Amino acid sequence: MLNERVVIEINRIKSKYHDAQSSLLPALYVVQREYGWLSPDAVAAVGDVLNVPRTTVKGVATFYSMFRHKPMGRHLIQLCTNVACMIMGAERLVDILKTRYGLEPNSTTDDGRFSLVVMECIGACATAPAMLVDTDFYDNLTEERIADILENYK
Amino acid sequence: MEKFLLKNIENPNSADIAEYIKTGGYKALSKALELKPSDIIDEVKRSGLRGRGGAGFPTGMKWAFAAADSKKPKFILCNADEGEPGTFKDRPILEKNPHLLIEGMIISGYALQAEYGYIYLRGEYPEAKDILEDAIKQAHDKGYLGDDVLGKGIRFYLHVHQGAGAYICGEETALIESLEGRRGQPRIKPPFPVNEGFLSKPTVVNNVETLANIPYIMEIGAEAYSKLGSPDCPGPKLYSVSGHVKMPGVYELPMGTTLREIIYTHCGGIRDGKKLKAVIPGGISTPILPPEKIDCPMDFVSMPKHGSMLGSGAVIVFDETVDLVKVCLRAMKFFEHESCGKCTPCREGVGWLRAIIERIYNGSGTEKDIDLLLEVSKNITGKTFCPLGDGAAGVVQGFIKDFRHEFEQHISKQVKAAA
Amino acid sequence: MITVTINGKKIQLEKPVTILKAASMAGIKIPTLCHHEALESYGGCRLCLVEIEKMPRLQTSCTQYVADGMVVWTETERVVEARKAMLEFLLINHPLDCPYCDKAGECELQDLVVKYGPSTGRFAEGKRTHPESYDDPIIVRNMDRCILCARCVRMCDKVQCASDISITNRSSKSFVEPFSGGRYNCEYCGNCLTVCPVGAIMSRMHKHAYRPWLIEKEVDTVCSFCGVGCSVVLQVRGNSIVRAVPKTGKGLNKGLLCNRGRFGYDYVSSPVRLDSPLIRRDGKLQRATWSEAFIYIAGELKRIKETYGGSSIAGIASGRCTNEDNYVFQKFMRVVLGSNNIDSAAGFAYAPAQKFFERIFGQGVTANSIHGISNSDGILVIGGDPTSVNPVLGLQIRSAHQKNIPVVTIGYMPGLKRFATNRLIPSPFAETALLAALVSELKSKRRLSDEKAAFARDINTIIENIPPVSLNEAGDVCRISPSDINNTVDAISNMTNPSIIIGRDILQRSEGHTNLLLLAALIYLLNGRIYLLSELPNEQGLVDMGCLPDMLPGVRPLAVDSFRRRYDEFFGVEVASEPGMSIVEMIDGANSNKIKALYVMCEDIVFNIPNSRYVKEALSKSELLVVQDIFMTETAQLADVVLPSLSWAEKEGSYTNLERRMQMLKKAVDGKGMEDWQAIAEISRMLGFDMNYRSPKDVMAEIARVSPLHKDIAYDDIVGDGFMWPYKGEPLRHGMSIEGIDIPDAKSLLKISDNDKIYAGMENPLFYSENLSRNSSALSSISPEPYARIGKALATKLSIIDGDYVNISADAGSIELSARVDSDLPENIVLIPNNFGDKGIFNVMNWKINPVIKSFVLDCTEVVIKKIKSAAEEVLA
Repeated sequence: MLNERVVIEINRIKSKYHDAQSSLLPALYVVQREYGWLSPDAVAAVGDVLNVPRTTVKGVATFYSMFRHKPMGRHLIQLCTNVACMIMGAERLVDILKTRYGLEPNSTTDDGRFSLVVMECIGACATAPAMLVDTDFYDNLTEERIADILENYK
Repeated sequence: MEKFLLKNIENPNSADIAEYIKTGGYKALSKALELKPSDIIDEVKRSGLRGRGGAGFPTGMKWAFAAADSKKPKFILCNADEGEPGTFKDRPILEKNPHLLIEGMIISGYALQAEYGYIYLRGEYPEAKDILEDAIKQAHDKGYLGDDVLGKGIRFYLHVHQGAGAYICGEETALIESLEGRRGQPRIKPPFPVNEGFLSKPTVVNNVETLANIPYIMEIGAEAYSKLGSPDCPGPKLYSVSGHVKMPGVYELPMGTTLREIIYTHCGGIRDGKKLKAVIPGGISTPILPPEKIDCPMDFVSMPKHGSMLGSGAVIVFDETVDLVKVCLRAMKFFEHESCGKCTPCREGVGWLRAIIERIYNGSGTEKDIDLLLEVSKNITGKTFCPLGDGAAGVVQGFIKDFRHEFEQHISKQVKAAA
Repeated sequence: MITVTINGKKIQLEKPVTILKAASMAGIKIPTLCHHEALESYGGCRLCLVEIEKMPRLQTSCTQYVADGMVVWTETERVVEARKAMLEFLLINHPLDCPYCDKAGECELQDLVVKYGPSTGRFAEGKRTHPESYDDPIIVRNMDRCILCARCVRMCDKVQCASDISITNRSSKSFVEPFSGGRYNCEYCGNCLTVCPVGAIMSRMHKHAYRPWLIEKEVDTVCSFCGVGCSVVLQVRGNSIVRAVPKTGKGLNKGLLCNRGRFGYDYVSSPVRLDSPLIRRDGKLQRATWSEAFIYIAGELKRIKETYGGSSIAGIASGRCTNEDNYVFQKFMRVVLGSNNIDSAAGFAYAPAQKFFERIFGQGVTANSIHGISNSDGILVIGGDPTSVNPVLGLQIRSAHQKNIPVVTIGYMPGLKRFATNRLIPSPFAETALLAALVSELKSKRRLSDEKAAFARDINTIIENIPPVSLNEAGDVCRISPSDINNTVDAISNMTNPSIIIGRDILQRSEGHTNLLLLAALIYLLNGRIYLLSELPNEQGLVDMGCLPDMLPGVRPLAVDSFRRRYDEFFGVEVASEPGMSIVEMIDGANSNKIKALYVMCEDIVFNIPNSRYVKEALSKSELLVVQDIFMTETAQLADVVLPSLSWAEKEGSYTNLERRMQMLKKAVDGKGMEDWQAIAEISRMLGFDMNYRSPKDVMAEIARVSPLHKDIAYDDIVGDGFMWPYKGEPLRHGMSIEGIDIPDAKSLLKISDNDKIYAGMENPLFYSENLSRNSSALSSISPEPYARIGKALATKLSIIDGDYVNISADAGSIELSARVDSDLPENIVLIPNNFGDKGIFNVMNWKINPVIKSFVLDCTEVVIKKIKSAAEEVLA
């Protein structure tokens, strides 16, 4: 189920820890980076590689909000809406994503280009509002700026 | 005050080991390795350093407990799961000054006779992960990390471990559970991590900022360090300031600087000529304060006397235009989302608080709902497994204590609209 | 000494315990929902909050330990308010569907709300909803009702160690589910059901089938499935068993059960139970009265005995029958019919292994406490997966692993995969070489005893004379890397008193006797404690009651004159000194017309012995075949007379488990058959030999006089957790000798199996237990399809994937099965279970006997596998 490269990477990570289960979160990251989300088969396969029961892996994977359990669009927008961003206009940005891209929180655009997840604080409160697009960080967002930024993600 | 924690961060290459060494970096480590491990612990004890994560526990004492436990191996974990909304103080260290943290961790590892360190980094800081991993590699190549630190026959290995979006993992036992590849739910204490932590071995969990203070203590000595800032909790302190101030950002100031000084002297006051309405002083889980209380010194000891807490030193400033019921609602949504689900009052009670505030905010609340909020929050307070639920209840109580009228306005607006 | 005051009551404690525990010791009950005595403290529900003087916050009594001088109050106004608040929180999402919920009446949440309130809830918004899940044949999951106490998950994780359910998601959105989110596909122990305090995880078998308050009686008895002998409580209403439940903390199983024990009891009420004696007339079995049947049997036995002599009659006893049944049976055979031809399924492996070890190490050497396993400093498992043969014993091994005790497994053991520190899977039937290598290595690492005693000298001689086998040689034969074997040597050589757990697969081999000798050498070198896995609830009882061709009751060898004389004098007869036939010899005997009559008590020999066709043919040659059973088994179908007997829940008597612990069966319901001992006593009377027992108690009284092992034992001694070995009697001190034990030659230790051949092997799945599981609708529903387990490499070679249909053929026959592909199974073996009528392993397995052990072997059948239909085609069809 997992490709060879992923399995090798997981085994490399495993060597950094004293017990295999400690490498579970990093291993899930490797899989998510490769496939965009954690399919049930992938979750089971990670369990098999690390010799951790697959149900345990599922329990762990679903606890953390940054793991995705359904396929995502090509680019994932993670927009902070916590208090500091909220009072600086993050809600307006959520509205814009909805009206301009048809993108509701926890959904994907019809063309599969973007998925949106609204986040708790991402630690950019002084330059709020802020977001991550994939792993790229953007702050001081405005209506115009967010449109310009997203142009770069096809 | 001279900057230490944020020294050199304007330099675009500040994360590079050469730049760090150029400005005196890793000297503290050389100095520390000349001392006996127990002497370092004594030094940290005498410095009066208290943990910067929020609880303010004396760092030297924590180290001494772990050092006294005979189990091996020992672990030093850096809590870089800066998840408290409003907080971004550790970020500049992680991204701009990573070697300061690494140096602090190597010293603490030596002091504790721990050979393994992990930086538990929040998943929301992907850039910091790359920066830290590069910095660790540089430190390794220079012989500060690895099988033979500085040729002293000491071993120390350091890894970055990325969290994946769970506020609760800032709680040290939940962090350990998470590092072990489990659901990040807090553990029963005792046993404390210093005795049975990561993989049931003696483990010290210290905040980024706490560990970044260690090289400073080594450099200037406990004596000099203990004279900085507040006598009860000395040292430099990072305050992250956000919201409606003119110059938001991270400020390195002496511990105990007052909120007023932070807002008006350092951050240039409220922007756009607006009036100050309220301040959350230490991150979202600390009770909100009205303008009358901003002369309070921001330290672990003084803040509780004024009805709030230092928390992470994350100051969120609200001007007169802000609807505080909305802020309170957003805060409750956060706590509801982040409750780990283990204990009844937090899992069920916080969602209930959110539901009541939501109906008040949406205009369908009644007078009785404010009392119900107080009663539900009272039923949570003091009964939760960890401080998360307590924090949530305290936030609601804080908002109602000083801003009850805002809740009442929402209710009466609706009554008027109905009429 | 710690003194703590709870509610004004002073309690003195030796060592600190939690407040909850201290209170419970003092008879003070503190309510909890997440705490369970089988589990570690959790601290989640917050119901057990108490007030402690000098502590500002309320504390959870399940996590807070007592300290000297502590003053605790458990029912103050503040505490009661807090509890009410917690219950109000729980009722936010917990539905108030109590009138519909099966748990009502035994729901811990319901009981607490009755006590503390609230009478009304103030939560005004909607409750969380999850549709009730019926995706599983056994377990219904209702996550609306879940209060997230995590008892089920902790039970599954930490006690059953299966980790098949987890809490998924977070916060109030979390709930419990198996990996698939639907079907469980787990071990179905049902221990999660035991601990669920509400109606969130319920048994589908019992959905709307009972109300707790309508249960009329509870019967404490022993499970009928395997040799562990778990305590189980049968809840009865009218004449039917409503549920089988464990008693928390009670019995050797301490409140745990396996799927067979919990769900499998429904065979008792199977519609195909025999309810009348049958006599073959005009070639067909037809209903008859008891007296007709007895007259027929007595007449035929008399005729055959007079015509051909007693030794032409053979009897097969049963490990599902009680000690009393089996004692009476062997007496009937020896005393009434004059035959030593008595054996049972214990003769397949259990009895020969025990006999061998007792001969070397002394009687009782296998009578070790199951709880000792998790307290030993190492565990070696070989010859069977304990988690499927003896599931509750298997949990001891998992629990040992959790305590970091090294566990070495030799052979394919899926249930211990995650729990073995060293896991060796030799190529099929190659364990002999591996054992020999372990012995060779240990010889140099563990000094032989320099004791001068004859015993030590003898065993030293044996060990010295076992030809050395190197790691490389063993590695070649087993296809395991020598370094893996070496690591295992290192692991076991550090053990000082390991538990050595032995299953029948290693003994039912062409080299089974060699394996036994090598195991004995290992046991000696390691100072090991022996555990023999046992598939039948009274397998040990068969041995102890003398249901063996060469042993009298009390495991006294028939060949020893003084024992035989004592027996003869007691009964006023003269028993032949020559041993009788073993089961397989009886079948060969019937085939060659030496055995004319076969009396079979509750054993399905056609189903349980290889080459079903041959066994059937042999049986049909006998002049008389009498079968007592609770079902119309394959053997009963061939019988001349069939007598319906009573199931385990319908009668009384004692079982002896694999620890040699004697425990009592208690009657729960009435059945339509007759107790086995009673039927035999009736026939015996007709043959002119009175057996005047009124009850099993009378039989036990006689056992206490006849069996030196059970001397002075009284029926009423066997109470509660049973009567442990050694009993009050005299263990055998006679005949410990190694004389006649052959030392294997080097060649027999290094037999290499042909890599190109594929062999059939026997699978012992958790869900199967011969005729009982076949007739349990609950157990049948878990794994209803016959199958063959095939290694990944072989499957790839033959382009077989999971679910494909394959034809497996051998000399003895051929069967079609669906394939289950397994990456841990060696390449040249295919495992087939024996649970499905004509689709079981014995339909293809050849008839071959180990002449030393005198039992059939399982390593003699080459098979050819062909894919006949893919899973996809099957779906389309």
